[in-house]
Order: sequence, then C-alpha cells, then structure tokens
Amino acid sequence: EFRELTIRLSSGVGEGHPVVAGVEAMNVCLADRSGGAMKVQAFLGGALGGDLQATQSLRTGTLEMVVTATSPLVGIAPVLGVFDLPFLIGTESEADRLLDGKFGKMISDRLPQHDLVNLAYWENGFRNVANSKHQVASVDDLKGLKIRVMQNNIYLDTFTTLGTNAVPMAGGEVFSALETHAIDGHENTIPGLDASKMYEVQKYLSLTAHAYSPFLVLYSKPLFDKLNAEEQAAVKDCAQVGAKAQREASRKSAVASLAHIKEEGMEVVTMTPEEIARMREVVAPVYENHKSMIGADVIDAATAELAKMRQ
Amino acid sequence: MTVEIFLVTLVGAMAIGVPVAFSLIVCGLALMLYMGIFDSQIVALKLIEGADNFQLLALPFFLLAGELMNAGGLSKRIIAFAISLVGHLHGGLGYVAICAAVIMAALSGSAAADTAALAGILIPMMRAANYNIPRSAGLIASGGIIAPVIPPSGGFIVFGVAANVSITQLFLGGIFPGLLMAFSLIFAWAFVARRDKVQTFPRQTWVQRARAFRDGIFALFMPAIILGCIKFGWATPTEAAVFAAVYALFVGMFVYRELKPRELYGVFLMAAKTSAAVMFLVAAALISAWLITQANIPAELGSLLEGFEDSPRLMMFVMMLLVIAVGTALDFTPTVLILTPILMPIVRKVGINEVYFGVLFIMNNAIGLITPPVGIVLNVVSSVARVPMSAVMRGVVPFFLAQSAVLFFLVLLPEWVIAPLNFLRDRITFGEMLARMFGF
Amino acid sequence: MLRNLIFRTMEMLMVACLAAMVTMVFTNAALRKLSDYGLTLFGGGITVSEELSRILFVWLTFVGAVVVAGQWGHLGVETLVGKLRGRARIAAMFTSDILVLVCCAVLFIGTWRQAPIHADNIAPVTGMPMIWVYGAGFITSIGIGLIVVGRVFRVLTGRITDQELRQFAGEVDDPNGLPKGHVE
Ligand code: NA
Ligand code: NA
Repeated sequence: EFRELTIRLSSGVGEGHPVVAGVEAMNVCLADRSGGAMKVQAFLGGALGGDLQATQSLRTGTLEMVVTATSPLVGIAPVLGVFDLPFLIGTESEADRLLDGKFGKMISDRLPQHDLVNLAYWENGFRNVANSKHQVASVDDLKGLKIRVMQNNIYLDTFTTLGTNAVPMAGGEVFSALETHAIDGHENTIPGLDASKMYEVQKYLSLTAHAYSPFLVLYSKPLFDKLNAEEQAAVKDCAQVGAKAQREASRKSAVASLAHIKEEGMEVVTMTPEEIARMREVVAPVYENHKSMIGADVIDAATAELAKMRQ
Repeated sequence: MTVEIFLVTLVGAMAIGVPVAFSLIVCGLALMLYMGIFDSQIVALKLIEGADNFQLLALPFFLLAGELMNAGGLSKRIIAFAISLVGHLHGGLGYVAICAAVIMAALSGSAAADTAALAGILIPMMRAANYNIPRSAGLIASGGIIAPVIPPSGGFIVFGVAANVSITQLFLGGIFPGLLMAFSLIFAWAFVARRDKVQTFPRQTWVQRARAFRDGIFALFMPAIILGCIKFGWATPTEAAVFAAVYALFVGMFVYRELKPRELYGVFLMAAKTSAAVMFLVAAALISAWLITQANIPAELGSLLEGFEDSPRLMMFVMMLLVIAVGTALDFTPTVLILTPILMPIVRKVGINEVYFGVLFIMNNAIGLITPPVGIVLNVVSSVARVPMSAVMRGVVPFFLAQSAVLFFLVLLPEWVIAPLNFLRDRITFGEMLARMFGF
Repeated sequence: MLRNLIFRTMEMLMVACLAAMVTMVFTNAALRKLSDYGLTLFGGGITVSEELSRILFVWLTFVGAVVVAGQWGHLGVETLVGKLRGRARIAAMFTSDILVLVCCAVLFIGTWRQAPIHADNIAPVTGMPMIWVYGAGFITSIGIGLIVVGRVFRVLTGRITDQELRQFAGEVDDPNGLPKGHVE
C-alpha cells in the first residue's frame, strides 16, 4: 500500500546538471510504481544548504534525500575517503562495475550506522585540473601552482604531494579568486567546470582524471524506517532506474561540455599514460597516509577488485 | 497561505518587541508547525550552520578595522585634507562633507559610524560659519549612507553570503554607483545652498594641500590597500579585511600614536559585540530562509508578479519599490536578510544580473537608513549634531530625492552598473565601457 | 557579583576569539603571499587556520549573543511598543519574553537531540568533533534563557523597574553605548 508522500531532495548542483535527468527518471518510475502517490521534489543549487549540512538534516530525520559527492562526508563516514584517493578508478566502465558490484555494496552497508541509507550510486564524474598560468602536461608543470582544493585532507595531501600550493577555499569565492588571480587553478569535473563558466577565467585544462567522484543518493534512515516494505523497495528500485538515466546524461554532458569549453577557447591537453603512471607513483604515499583512517580492508577490497578487472 | 503565516508571525513578533533575530526564529517555528514538519533539530542545525562560514569572517575584521581607525584618529585627518581641497568654495563645508564621506566610505562599511564622525567634527564648524544646520545635518546623513555601497561593506558581505553571490564582484560593482551617489549630492547641495550666506575658508596653497595630504596619507592609503587586494587578487575579501585591520592597528599605534595599548581591549570587545549581534541575526535568518524555500514562498510571490516577468527592468522597478517600502520601517540588516531569500529566486528566474541586483539592493537599503520612521542614520545625526529629529527629516529631503533619482536611473540603465564592473574586472576596455554606458 | 564575573569572562573569551582569528587569518594570508615571492615558510600556509578560525567565529557569535542579550542589545523594532503605556507595555514585554523563552527551549532541545550526529562528524582538517561547534547552541539557549527568565520573574513578582520598561521600548540609549547590531 502506498501513502501520499513528497520526498524532499537537496543537492548542491544547479539546474541543468545531469542530476536533474536522474531525478526525472526516478519520478517517472515512482509515479508508475506507486500510482502517483510518491514523488520527489528537488531543491537544487544548495537552496536547502550545503551537501554536508543537508546530509546532517537526513541523519536527524528532518529531510528525506540528498544527492551528494562523497568528499564532504568523510568527517561522518571516514570510509568514504576511499573515493578521494588519487587515480583509484581509471575508466567509466571500471566505475560502474566497482560501484554496482560487491565493493559498492560494502560501502553502502557501512552507511546505516551513520543513519544514512544509500539508495544508488549516481555520477559526478572524473575530476581534472584547470589553471590560468600554463599548460600542465606533466607532473613537473604542476609545481608551485596555487590550486584550490575542497576542504578535504586527502585532496590537500594529494595536491601538496604533487608539488602544488594547495589552498582550501569555500566554493562561493572560487570564481572570483580565479578571476583576480588570487589562485591559479582549481580541480573540477568537466560538466561542473562548464556549468560554473570557469572557462571564462581558466585557460588551460589537463585531463588528469585524478579522481572519479561518485554521487551518493542518500535517504534519511530514521525516515526510511518509517516507510513500509513496498515503499522502501519502490524508492530503492527507482533510485537505481534514476542511476541509469543519470549516468547516461552525465557522460553525454561530459562530452558536450568538453566540446563547449574548447569552443570557449580553453586549451585542453590529454595526459599521456606514462605521465599518469608517473603521477600515480608520486602520490603513492597518499594511500599509505590515509590507510588507517579509511580502513586497510576497504582500500584492499577496492584495489583487488580493480586489479581483477584490469587483467 | 504560507505567505500570510510568514508575514503575520514575523511582523507580529517584531511589533510586540521581540528582537528581530528571535522574531525570525518565531516565524520559522510557525512555518514548521503550519507545514507539519515541526522539529527542534532544524532550529539547532540551521542556527549554527548560519554562522559557520569563512566568508563571513570579513565582517568582524572590517568592523575591527573601522573601530581601530576611529580610535586611531584617522577621521579628523581625512576632513582636514578635504578642507584643504574644497573648503574655499561657496558652501565649501558641504563639499568637504561629501568628499570626506566618500573617503571614509572607502575605509569603513559603517554608515552610522561615518555619519557620527562627520557630524561630530563638521556640524560645530558649520554652525560657526552660519550654515543652515538642519540642511547640513541632512547632507551629512545622506553622505554617510554611501558607506555600505562603496567597499568595504558589511551589507555586501551579508548579502553575498545569503544570496551566494561573489563578494569580490559586489565590492567592485559598488564603487561607481557609490560615486554617483556622491555626485548627486554635490548637485543637490549646489542647488539648495546656492543662496545661503555663509563664510568660506581661505583658499589653501598647494603646499598646504600637500601637507594635509601627507598628514592623512596613511588614512588615504587604506582604500588603496583594500581595493588593490581585491582588484589585483592579492587577497580574498576575508584576507583583505584582516590586512585592513592589521594596517589600521599599526597606523593607530605606531604612526599616529593615538591608539594606546590599554584601549585595544575595548576596541576589540566593541567589534566583537557588534559582529556577534549581527552574526546572530544572520544565523537566525537562515532558519526562516530554509523554511521560506521549502514553503515555496518565492514561487507564490513570483506568481503575484507574473505580469512583470517578461520585463526584467519592470520587475526590478517593482522590487525596488518593495525594498523602499520595507526599508522605511525595518533596519538595514534585517531587510537584507529577510528579502534576499524571497527575491533572489525571482531575480534568477527573470534573468537579472545578480551582482547588478545586489548593488542596487544594497544602495536601496542604504537609502532606507535615512527614511523615517526607522532610520538609524537620522537618529545618529540628530543626537550627535543636537538637531531635533523633525528638523533633520526636513533637511534630508533634497538629498534623499537626489539619491533615489540615482537609484531609479540605474534601474533604467543597468549598463551604468554592469559596464564599470566589467571594466574593473578587466573584461572590457575603458572605451568599451563608455560605449556601453552611452549606447554608441 | 557572580553575574558580573560570568559576563566579564565571556567578554574575555570573545576578545580572545577575535584576536586569535585575526592572528591566524593574517598569518596564513601573509605566508601565502610570501610564498608567491619565493619565501616559503611553514609550507606556504597553515592549513588549520581556515577551519579553526571558522570554529572560533561560531563561538564568538554564540557566546556574544548571550553577552549582547545581557545588555538587551539585540536589534529590535520599538516603533509600536514605544507607543504603549503602563500595563499594555508590560504585557507586550511579557509576551515577547515568553516567545524568546520558547525559542531558547526549542534551541536547547534541538541541540540536545542532535548532539550525537555532531559528535561523530569530524572536522576535515583539525579532526575536531563538530559538537565543539554545534554545542554552542547550549551556551546560547541556556544563557539567553536565564537572562529572560530573570525579567519574567521580576514582572510576575512586580519588581520590574521603570528603567527596564523604558529600555524595552527603546527609550533609553544603551548605557554601554552598544550599537545594537548595526553593521551598516
Ligand atoms: Na564602505
Ligand atoms: Na528607514
């Protein structure tokens, strides 16, 4: 039996982001399953607060859903730091197989203890380095660049290890700081870079793909427990349906955005596999430094599964 | 219906004397009850979240810089410099007031403090020189309100955080419109004071002017530091604010030596108290803003304004009228905090440039500081200058009209805000800026 | 006496917070600037400074909110209550105080109920449990609550002074010259 329910969903991404496609697909699915009783109402652009704060609202049971990257949440669930490790996931197909498989379930199973239910993995995308100074084609080119990173220890460590001057800075002032050259560069997904018009203030983009950032589709556990079995199943299944549409939209958008930012005059360089291998080597200590925080078993599980895929 | 609940509880609570910060919480509680989502944790979470923001640190730092400069004797040097330049003109002390107001606006964000400093020094001089005192008090009040429009500005910081608009761009965007406000005052003053029989100061020689400049150079240097930091990317607004505070401390203590070490505690405490009071308001506003968003109040209001959606200019005009109306009865910061979450979704939907809106919104709120019944700058000038409130209200009218004219001129010609901003952002050349402003 | 001691201590805490914020943000920015010119000290910046100064700012704000409340210095609109006289004014003050008390109670309960989720959320750089930040809700709710309970008690026992009533209606300038929450 389905009861009338409007599920409030918060996300920091703006209108036009691939997340919207995921929400739409999820809504079509929910309408179908529940006979129109359940629907998701999205509050985008951080209208209900930052992703970390919105996630805290989930844990207290004052908000139903959030679609968020993992990086802001490592303070709550240190295990999520595994996705911040540099150069872990190499390709989109690796990402899908890892997240939809045993490893993805392993991570999701660790979240209910923090009062969160992960319904599905959506996609934020591969993160790349952009800057306004010079083209970065090798790890040496990164030396001394002032790069804004998220307030996250693994990112800070990674970019310090790579020889940059890593500056933690809140999101709101990044564009202006880049424009006035208070900082030289930042790291971002391609659709994210396009949507925030960073191409206006960044000339060079290096496709470092130094991290694959998944989106968690989280539901408040206190509120999830109040749903009946049928409703729970519908929400879970429809989030998975949303995942398919969202990832597809995300990948299309990455291609379109890349074309668009080139049109806008950004110079894009692909890193050679040798250079990526070199960078991987340089940042190897980062894995060691954060092993105890993330959990050795988790890192090993991920690397083992990925090694199997790569054979 | 949610709009009515929102208005009735907020206005009702404020009317019976509940402090504005708590009125915002009361309003949030009522909205939660009405929407059936009452939960004490929303209040606790949103309140602290509202203050946990690095960008807002600029606020206590700029406040501290302002307090340090007041204690460090910078105002009187600025006024002496202005007298050396324009004191000899007919009605010269009026031009001195405008000139000093602009310089002080570029040093501090506080209209009340600037007005108090200006009135404290200039009104006795104007009295002695036979000026029309209510009119002079009105001029000083309207000169004081330039402070929030020219950076640094607490208003821009609070708005930038609440609306998620770049504070750097708001600061750069405020410079030219702030100067326009000053120009409008020059014209208004020249017109209303043209027949006044007043004494003028003797014209000063360039040597004397150079000496006045040298005496005030450390004060005059500060706007350059603040703007340079922001314009050339030497620092973010928060860092620029801390540089300003440390600079003011240094100048007050070691250059002018008017700031004694034992005064420091009091100065820090004053800045800390003011920023705590403001930040508590900012934090409380996040609770109601969260519920305003969930209750879809902007959409409800937006549907009322549907007819105007096709014309951003007309929408802008209507919103500015609303802000003027609210600003008569409510103080600056509460108006900014209450209206921002309601108006920003409309601004974005209609496609008005966010920085342009922010600049006009803050200018409008600044003008609200001199509109009765609630106009703190009127109170300040009335008590410092010892002029009855009713006289100040009469005296301020021509200048209020001049500044309102600037506001609505900018509603008609957005490029007069946007083109100078883009010039300062190195987006366009000076020639292109002129071409856009004058339409050729 | 005790009341005075508590307020003095809180004021000192505020000043210490502000001084520490200035020192940290200034040092961090200066180090970053110096590293631009090739002089890299302490790795060109102190990474904890951003997070720590933000935490201090929260404390400054919420301890400060109590101090300001102690001087009845929170910004209010006194247009209407200024026109009320006698019992009407007392009634408005009483109702207003009760509403503030309700807010304090809700804030206290909310902070209490969500303490666990903040206790196990670790600030990313300092590693400090966020209850050290969100726990500020306890100080504010208890502090302001006690101040207002005092005034309610004086109203109920008929010991409210004329001075207090005039202060409520905005008729007296604050003896401490507090600018009542104006940044503009
Ligand atoms: Na200013
Ligand atoms: Na007003």
